[in-house]
Amino acid sequence: MRIIEDMVCPFCGCLCDDVILTIENDMIIAADNCCTVGNAKFLGKKRLKSPIIKKDGVWEQTGYDEAIQYTVDTLLDADRPLMFGWSGTHGEAQCIGIHMNELIGGVIDSTTSVCHGPSILAIQEVGHPGCTLGQVKNRADLIIYWGCNPVEGHPRHMSRYTVYADGYFLQNSFKERKVIVVDVRETETAGIADEFVRVKPGGDFAVISALRAIIRGKGDIIPESVAGVSREQLVRVAELCKTCKFGALFFGLGLTMVKGKYKNISNAIELVDELNRHTKFTLTPMRGHWNVYGSNEVFTWMTGYPYAVDFCRGVAFYNPGETSAIDILARKECDACLVVASDPGAHFPRACVEHMKDIPTIVIDPFQTLTTTVADLQIPVAVTGIDAEGTAYRMDGIPLKVKKALDSNYPSDTEILSKMYEKMLEVQWQ
Amino acid sequence: MKFIMNTGRTIRQGKHIESKLGSAYSDETGTCFMHPMDMLALGVDEKENVKAFTDVGEVVLTVVIDEGLPEGMIFIPYGRHCNAILPSTTHSTGMPDYKHSSVEIVPTIEQRKSAGEMMEEMGGVSYADN
Repeated sequence: MRIIEDMVCPFCGCLCDDVILTIENDMIIAADNCCTVGNAKFLGKKRLKSPIIKKDGVWEQTGYDEAIQYTVDTLLDADRPLMFGWSGTHGEAQCIGIHMNELIGGVIDSTTSVCHGPSILAIQEVGHPGCTLGQVKNRADLIIYWGCNPVEGHPRHMSRYTVYADGYFLQNSFKERKVIVVDVRETETAGIADEFVRVKPGGDFAVISALRAIIRGKGDIIPESVAGVSREQLVRVAELCKTCKFGALFFGLGLTMVKGKYKNISNAIELVDELNRHTKFTLTPMRGHWNVYGSNEVFTWMTGYPYAVDFCRGVAFYNPGETSAIDILARKECDACLVVASDPGAHFPRACVEHMKDIPTIVIDPFQTLTTTVADLQIPVAVTGIDAEGTAYRMDGIPLKVKKALDSNYPSDTEILSKMYEKMLEVQWQ
Repeated sequence: MKFIMNTGRTIRQGKHIESKLGSAYSDETGTCFMHPMDMLALGVDEKENVKAFTDVGEVVLTVVIDEGLPEGMIFIPYGRHCNAILPSTTHSTGMPDYKHSSVEIVPTIEQRKSAGEMMEEMGGVSYADN
């Protein structure tokens, strides 16, 4: 039996890097310091044993070489290939994915387009007043969770970085920190808030605007209630924000997936801008997939754009709403799909999944997913953080080296994609 | 009755995310959290089934009480069940209305399907030897 310390959890954007794994007989038998979800990830046992291919509606096992050749042929034959996912793998694999996509003139998109894509659109519009989670942990005396529920979505966020974490510049962190939760639902996170602000569904933009007005000294124009929030509470919240020493606003999909989408985030960033005329205030999106932030970094440094990048013109083109995965699938535009480290079969609307079933779809993933059922081929790979290593970015943009705990016979995403890319280059040179 | 459909992560959904063809995952993603006053108006008790409709489809869900929800809103954990009735329109942003779309809900005695069964209805095939 051996113990490995300081492992990085490969589940959510918190990238908790204090996980302790116990290994026995080349198996992880315990994962300490993890949340329930991370624990399930480390101890997951239902991995595919070999590549599988669907022939006449029946799955059968195949070899890695055959699977790689099938994928290369399919993608090269396609007129409008889509390569989607990328958030559950390491940056090195994402790099190769972009090279492949440029070569085949396809569209490459990450799960960003269905999580914080609108946040990126807003950041491109008005900037990002962000900071690291270390700054928040050590300095913030006011935490706002807006449209997110870390108790369920990022279970260790509060204990590692905010509410329950010790801060170097705070005497008694737990007592000194105030917590504001803004949501349409009274979630478990709302239960630990000093101030819970319940907004009527679709009312976030109006509430943010009201807070901005109060902070600019225009509180007298605010009506008695804004989207279900009383003027008294808005004034109280604005005062808490203005008088704190260091405020940190974390926001989730409760702002990006509702009406207004990126305009909600633009307004929240403008609110943080206003607050910085009174105190220090920052804003951080609660990124979900563990390396979704990394996909944005890698895509941006390689193509100039953070997600939904279309190479059909030979140069990178970016227009979310047109070049994003949901839209391309719903319009039945793509004629082949490579899914890497994500599960659109579970998380995309029905029309998109129906089109994936109608075109050649290939999945690269360690586990059978719902996308597997509508795919034609699946290639199992090693899990980064368990039997593969690589680089991942935390939700605050900090890159972390993710170690592996075990050796296995599974190839990593990087190895599989490299072989595919080499074969594509060979075909191109011929 | 008309509702706003709100979908999102839950810790139980996350726990079973690597075994989506298992029953525990479908038990979670096939849940429709609802305010007790809405349940009274709809005439359903906890653990009874309802059918949710939109222009793009219908799905059977099992009701669970959630007093934290506002009246007029249901919450469904992310997964195949909610996405079976979610329109794919993104208003030119790339993002569907995962947390704010209209649904019609009626009580039903129909059985809820698992995520695997729903995929098979669309022509999907599970890999049995896993």
